[in-house]
Amino acid sequence: MRRGAIVRLAVIAIGAGLVLSFPAAAGDPYMLTVGITIVNYAVLATAWNFVGGFIGYISLGHSALSGLGAYGTALLIAAGLPSFVALFAAAALVALLAVPIGAAALRVRGASFVIVSIALVLILLLVFQSWASLTGGSRGLVVPRPFPGLHRAEHHLVFFFLFAALLAGTLLAWWLIDRSRFGLGLKAIREDEDKSQSLGIPTFAFKLIVFVVSAAFTALGGGLYALWFGDLDPVFQFSVLTGSTMVLMALLGGVRHLFGPLLGAVVVGAALESFKLAYGDTPLHLVATGLLLGGVVMFMPEGVIPALSSLWRRRFGPQEASIREVTAAALLDRARHEPAERVVQEADRTGGGR
Amino acid sequence: MSPSRSGDPEVRSLETAGLTKSFGGVAALGGATVRFHHGKVNAVIGPNGSGKTTLFNCITGMIKPDAGRVTYRGQDITGKPPHRIARAGIGRSFQLCRVFPRMTVLDNLLVAVCARGAEPQLASARDRKDIDRARGWLARMGIEHLERSEARNLSWGQQKLLELAGVLMGDPDTILLDEPAGGVNPALIDRIGTLVRELNAEGKTFVIVEHNMDMVMTICDHIVVFDRGRPIAEGPPAVVRSDRRVLDAYLGV
Repeated sequence: MRRGAIVRLAVIAIGAGLVLSFPAAAGDPYMLTVGITIVNYAVLATAWNFVGGFIGYISLGHSALSGLGAYGTALLIAAGLPSFVALFAAAALVALLAVPIGAAALRVRGASFVIVSIALVLILLLVFQSWASLTGGSRGLVVPRPFPGLHRAEHHLVFFFLFAALLAGTLLAWWLIDRSRFGLGLKAIREDEDKSQSLGIPTFAFKLIVFVVSAAFTALGGGLYALWFGDLDPVFQFSVLTGSTMVLMALLGGVRHLFGPLLGAVVVGAALESFKLAYGDTPLHLVATGLLLGGVVMFMPEGVIPALSSLWRRRFGPQEASIREVTAAALLDRARHEPAERVVQEADRTGGGR
Repeated sequence: MSPSRSGDPEVRSLETAGLTKSFGGVAALGGATVRFHHGKVNAVIGPNGSGKTTLFNCITGMIKPDAGRVTYRGQDITGKPPHRIARAGIGRSFQLCRVFPRMTVLDNLLVAVCARGAEPQLASARDRKDIDRARGWLARMGIEHLERSEARNLSWGQQKLLELAGVLMGDPDTILLDEPAGGVNPALIDRIGTLVRELNAEGKTFVIVEHNMDMVMTICDHIVVFDRGRPIAEGPPAVVRSDRRVLDAYLGV
């Protein structure tokens, strides 16, 4: 336990050091924008993981929330609020809006929830495209820069650190929930929702609260992007593809781990950017991305972190003591195929509890 | 939690009145009126499809009855959501034993603590006091050596014990067990039976759905016999065993 804590602190220190020294190492502004894009992805994937990781509801519609955060920030600035006040006010509004959205969407599980979340993005895309008087429609919406005095390179540098700070805040919130009673209740919902409720967990309230938290951080990610990029287009803001990218990053890194989505964002983000650089003008960069993701799903279905840590354990760790002869799942499976008598005998031999 | 406001066992009991539930035209419960005895080990027996599990599901709020009422300690709990009913003091196990497969054995028990919602929800889930209490239950079940294993790696019998420990961790007054002996070896059946009797002596009320007649006759004080969604007989084991209607409907000898 103690050694684990030290290892964890060391990993965090190294990670933070790497992130903070990136701008100096990056050299040119282009590399810095790649870095910002990746940290932004990491924020969004970690924010997504409040829902996907804790309760296991796969939302493909989180770009709806980041898009609302982005447009909310832009419109509140247009209404006269200072940039960063607008950013947080927009996130608060999105969180408020997430209450009815979550109340409707979280009633359904599994594939139905996925479809509801996609529908949300598509509806918002249509609304923001057609309501041109407010949103600028497909002509886009220009967001005033928060620091008009800065040069372009300085602007990027400042935003790199702002995104890094937001990432740190998002990770901290995820960690706080992960170790809490609330978090354990959420993970119980992920494992077996009805069973959790039968133990006394108010599953609906728990799901709704964590959805709202996720929405707030996602909106902050979107809003900060708006301030950085300075130009919004509904097609890119309300995109199922962006939402799917968040999911894939989180899955690739490992949704049960604090740093899973961050790691996924680094891998996928770097790959996406380099594919774009290499095959940018052809659809080949999408093919390359597809191959990467296919490979991960085939060889590391649990994500990179679990795959690596199990490899580590197999190499260096102590051999886990064998405590089971037959798992209940195997027994159940056999019960379906074999006469009951034999299975019961098997249970007699193995299920004795000691 | 355990002593109730009223001393009258009639008022403290768990009971249903005219409980009715159909699934697509098939009546699973047809106006079931049952009173379970507080402080006793009650059993519900009956042939497959006689409505025993549906009765449990209606009592615990997992499904809403079409008609009828469920009262617990004099309060109407009909149609309340399952977590409210759990917090009112009714715990349950499931027919096909349900644990949280990808959580450790210890966490499986700690879930029941966070479910009670008494303490700040952002407090650490691994409270010393709770862990000690959880270890106490695991030791009582004889699975304390498995506390760090994932629940899915446990054998069937161990999972049954884990499920029971998880229910007990929530400190319910009344515990509904759906086939506690199902798929379990004879030695373990004895152990579960002994545990039920011990816990009953400590003040827990039990309602048990079970097909293992040896177990039912040995550990239960009061038996309700179900047939086609309704109770057809009830009484202490000796009486039920010799009831003509029961022999016809179920014991079938």
